[in-house]
Amino acid sequence: MDRWARRWLRERKIPSTACVGCGLGQVHKKVLMAVEQLKLGVGDVVWGTGIGCAGRQTFNTWKGDNFAGTHGRVYAIATGLRTALPDDKKIILTVGDGDAFGIGLSHLLHCARRNLGVAVIVADNFGYQSTGGQYGFTTPLGCVTDSSPYGTREQGWLQNDIDILTLLKDAGATFLARHSSFEGQNAVDSVVKAIDNRGFSLVHFIYPCVTHFGAISLGSRDKEAVYRWFERLFQDGGDPRFRSGVYHDARGSRPEFAASLREWTERVSKENSTTTGKRFD
Amino acid sequence: MKRLFDTGNAAITEGAVMAGCRLFSGYPITPATEIAENMSRRMPQVGGYYIQAEDETASFHICIGGALGGLKAMTATSGPGYVLFSDPYGWAIGSEVPVVVVNSQRVGPVSGITGAPGQGEFYLSRYPTHGGNFETIVLAPAGVQEAFSMTVEAFYLAERFRTPVTLLADQIVTDGLESFDLPENEEELRAMGLRVIPGKAHAGPCFYPATSEIDIPPVRLGRNTGGACSDWTPTEEGYDTEEVEAQVKHAYRLTRKVLDHRDLIDRYEGTCLEDDPDVVLVSYGSPSRVMASAVKKARSLGLKVGGIRLKSLWPFQDRLFARRAVYLTVELNLDGQLVREVQRAAGGSAVHFIGRCGELPTAAELVEAVIGLSEGCFPAPKLWERWAW
Repeated sequence: MDRWARRWLRERKIPSTACVGCGLGQVHKKVLMAVEQLKLGVGDVVWGTGIGCAGRQTFNTWKGDNFAGTHGRVYAIATGLRTALPDDKKIILTVGDGDAFGIGLSHLLHCARRNLGVAVIVADNFGYQSTGGQYGFTTPLGCVTDSSPYGTREQGWLQNDIDILTLLKDAGATFLARHSSFEGQNAVDSVVKAIDNRGFSLVHFIYPCVTHFGAISLGSRDKEAVYRWFERLFQDGGDPRFRSGVYHDARGSRPEFAASLREWTERVSKENSTTTGKRFD
Repeated sequence: MKRLFDTGNAAITEGAVMAGCRLFSGYPITPATEIAENMSRRMPQVGGYYIQAEDETASFHICIGGALGGLKAMTATSGPGYVLFSDPYGWAIGSEVPVVVVNSQRVGPVSGITGAPGQGEFYLSRYPTHGGNFETIVLAPAGVQEAFSMTVEAFYLAERFRTPVTLLADQIVTDGLESFDLPENEEELRAMGLRVIPGKAHAGPCFYPATSEIDIPPVRLGRNTGGACSDWTPTEEGYDTEEVEAQVKHAYRLTRKVLDHRDLIDRYEGTCLEDDPDVVLVSYGSPSRVMASAVKKARSLGLKVGGIRLKSLWPFQDRLFARRAVYLTVELNLDGQLVREVQRAAGGSAVHFIGRCGELPTAAELVEAVIGLSEGCFPAPKLWERWAW
């Protein structure tokens, strides 16, 4: 464990339990680099995670305060936490694609609608890999997985004319970006903007899974071959949905949910205070 | 002390405000909607927050998040929403987060009738989530005054035991109008036997000790203590682990912390039990008020009858059923839920059941059943609603 990692991560959780060749560590490191770039201290961030590869491998790695929600519910927990914590406390959520775009999508959209001050980092490995490799909501059409032995047939969130980021933009998100895990400073820059935004931000990272997606859908466990396949997705002139960079930047355009709720509550409290509102503690 | 004439929903709202609740998140559902409406008015008045959630699952999780941030939080629902609490209940129980949960029971299953009372979540409140290996604390008010006091008590117990505490009411209690006393200062509150304790923060990073101790402040986030909590099996530092030994310690803590301190939880009201009555009626919530009338009437007829009204449901108070008697449970359901638990606790005593679906039984019906039981024979069912157990 190098000195840089020791500064941010709990020694007990290093090395990660992620599979050899997993791209998740690259995503996690970019978020930590963004935290460092923002000159935040360990006490400035509360880190939340979900279930699945992204949740399990990143839970409690952060040296500061941590929580992990059940599948898809971390956004609702963050809504309550954001309301209770002061504005300057950052909340970062590291979640998987099933968590964000499947089971938790309703909560996620409502966070975007409210412009909740959280930075959601979606680490997308194209399906449910920690349960063995079933297709998810971004798995490319036609992919063979453990639950689509004849190829996927469902329209996903990243096919034809559909892009999940458009949906989140329409729902009210104020910062959205997409990157591959193997990008460099440009990806870190997006995460910096996401964390710095006083509103709802989401950065969609696509990262390679060698163990399941590579082995079953791509037919290879060879790390280099799998990485090359993912790299081609983001090549210039390719599918526009896999163009990396900032997708939508409307930082500062709308009030942040909890801050505005606090402000409003203070006003109502002053104008309508009653004697029966006493708390006897 | 103020004297008000209002609903159980209003009393629950005022109880929560006084107990220090400063976050309410809910999702509208009859007959608990009025609590949300009242909270939307009262929370901002006292510097608290009302958040109308996208669904019940979110409402409870929002409360969990608020509690982790240091706010006392409450949510309220009815049966169809209560089943959706299954997911966050597990999280709050496992991570030891104090939240108060109100369930105003209506007749079911599923949506049933929105405006008719039920008692169908007796067992669901014992096992509101999966996995087992935990105990729950459940209080059951029978009227508006008690709806107020038990809400204050629920917050008190939630903080001391750092666990969600459920207020299992029914539609008659929450919608019913009665006059009730509302204390206006701490002295008046104490005079009612009620206590409010401040929400505290655990220093962390230690997550929990594998003991049955209570009064350990819950984990709070955002205070840079290295606090950690999750749905995973925790080590004593809060790390997730696959070690069975850690799960055994966790289960020990979640069960024993409640059972070893049940003197703080157990509540009941006995009527005419002093002369070891031959027949004992057992009930909780609204039916217990009919039961009280029936016991009084039966006594006036010279029958040796008594009543037990359960004010706390879980942990179940087995010791109350140690005396030899013929028991008759009175419930707002047809499948008989409380009766099974009384039967288990009562050992060799005979246990009978009168259940009604969606409405209260009459005192006359209960007296008739008591007369039958005193004479050694349970009356033959005259209505399809009345079953001998």
